[in-house]
Amino acid sequence: MTEIKPANPLEMVAYSLAMQIEDHQVVYVGTGLPMVAAILARKTHAPNITLVYESGAQDPLEGGMPWSVGGPFTWRKSPIILEMSYSFGQAYNGYVDIGFLGFAQIDRYGNINTHMIGTDLLKPKVRLTGSGGNNDLSSLSEKMVLVGIQSPDKFVEKVDFITSVGFLEGGDSRKKAGLLGEGPVAVVTNAGVYDFEPVSKRMRVKSLNPGVSLGLAQMATGFELLKPDGEIPVTPAPSAEILALLRNEVDPLGVFISMPGAKQ
Amino acid sequence: MSAFDYNREAVRNLGIDDTKILDPLVDFESARRAHINKDRSHRDKRLSLGEAIGEFVRDGDVLTDTGFSYVRTPMQAYFEIMRQGKKGIQMIGSPNSNQSYMIHFGVCSCSHNSYSGAEMRGYDRAYSRSVIEGKTRILSEWSHGSMAQGFKAAQLGVPGVFSKQLLGSDILRYNPYTKVMQNPMRSDPDPAVFVPALYPDIAVIHVQTADRFGNARMYGPPINDIALAAAARRLIITAEEIVPPGDIRSNNKGVVIPFTCVDAVVELPYGAAPGSMPGCYYWSRQWWEKLMRWACLSDENIEEFFEYWVFSSRDQFDFIEKLGGARWIANSRKITKAEEYDNEDLGVDFSYKEFKTLETETGIYY
Repeated sequence: MTEIKPANPLEMVAYSLAMQIEDHQVVYVGTGLPMVAAILARKTHAPNITLVYESGAQDPLEGGMPWSVGGPFTWRKSPIILEMSYSFGQAYNGYVDIGFLGFAQIDRYGNINTHMIGTDLLKPKVRLTGSGGNNDLSSLSEKMVLVGIQSPDKFVEKVDFITSVGFLEGGDSRKKAGLLGEGPVAVVTNAGVYDFEPVSKRMRVKSLNPGVSLGLAQMATGFELLKPDGEIPVTPAPSAEILALLRNEVDPLGVFISMPGAKQ
Repeated sequence: MSAFDYNREAVRNLGIDDTKILDPLVDFESARRAHINKDRSHRDKRLSLGEAIGEFVRDGDVLTDTGFSYVRTPMQAYFEIMRQGKKGIQMIGSPNSNQSYMIHFGVCSCSHNSYSGAEMRGYDRAYSRSVIEGKTRILSEWSHGSMAQGFKAAQLGVPGVFSKQLLGSDILRYNPYTKVMQNPMRSDPDPAVFVPALYPDIAVIHVQTADRFGNARMYGPPINDIALAAAARRLIITAEEIVPPGDIRSNNKGVVIPFTCVDAVVELPYGAAPGSMPGCYYWSRQWWEKLMRWACLSDENIEEFFEYWVFSSRDQFDFIEKLGGARWIANSRKITKAEEYDNEDLGVDFSYKEFKTLETETGIYY
């Protein structure tokens, strides 16, 4: 038997994300790693999840990786496709269990920025995409999982623009602002998995990926990470079977799980 | 004095001196008047694309991006708007991705944003440059869902809705149209955001089939277009095919836009290309990648790109020829129907080479 290559950082992210999903949940996904994770979860421990998208697509038949959230793979033989306003309405009305969000910047309270780098929205250093459905899901869904690559310029003391509220200023400030749901329950990165300390709502190390030390994770973070009590667990790595599934069936073209430059 | 009391902090933050520029989007009375003044008769509304854009799209209009960035989006109508040299348009949409290249050519000069970009293709460098250089003026920031609520409120026929989106975010500080208020039905503190009904001046909506009166049948994600059809002061339907009215009546599944809203009907096969059209054709993925990864990198590139694809194309047929002609059509129809699983997908190859160089080796923009 040939030795299977261990998980690369992106595959670790996909697997850790998948592990956030429980069976029978309604999962709100965008393209990219969250979609890889959702499909992996469906093929492994959560075969009965329902995928929904901001394009209004619902519960598609399984297919390949969509090129866009509006693409046919997201509404492949869907029983119904909702209008956009109704699609987010599902999250308000309690029909969405978990959502996945990416970011350009994140702070210790899980507030995220997808608007700009800079200090002036009218004259930024870089203008990014804006909210899209990011703010809607973070405002409304029951649980959110945030996903991104970890570095000090992304994990910052203060985000340049609050596109979506995590825990705002910590404590009960999210609830006081009038937002719904539990807020972010996990941050998944190439370095590890984080949660939020229940009272202060500050970001806390939950587990670190194999080979990542606390010092390394802290170096990749522009604010002080809280540590859990006791020894920091190692993030579970995918088994050889799951890795094979990920590489051969979930994302066989390596669109999202190949490291940049590693593809032919 | 203005009839509207905007979110003053946002007006200040956006540096808007004269709020009149904000009025059309929320001016319900003028939208209602525009709707009242439409000719109600069952008449043949067919025009050429050039005539429809010439008559119904005006300089300074609030125009909506429709479909979903590059899915069932009236790309060829946008290209005609560019060829006719319209100016000073305020562009709104969730998403609002197609404003980017129109800003470069002066067609659009104001942005009502929820999202501008192309997903995994990265952020839009041309849009970023336009904001930094002041070529577009940001008039409001939104999320997809809150803007969708504004359009839906217009279709519902209400002054606005209370939303639980945007609360606590900086978006509110840059949206003159929204205000945080106490939910009047609650005795405990319950902040909510008032989102007003939004009335764009003009919408162009591309559909699979319509009749000559404008009754329009749609397949695939409607996004916000059903609401927008009801909201817009003027509405152009472009359609892959024009069918007899009896066909619409006998098969009304998917008919989502009533003829009363429609001002012009344009028979426009391949009207969504190089975007995708559900049931009809796939994106030219390489065209979009070339736009995002090459054209958007500099003003020179964007000029060259649009000179080739738009300004030196008379119509969508010229455009399709450049994409690869009949071979492009056959391949993109095959892929889209296989991905939708209306056609057999076993053995269908969805892979393609990501755009890297200027010329494609095959002569087809897959």
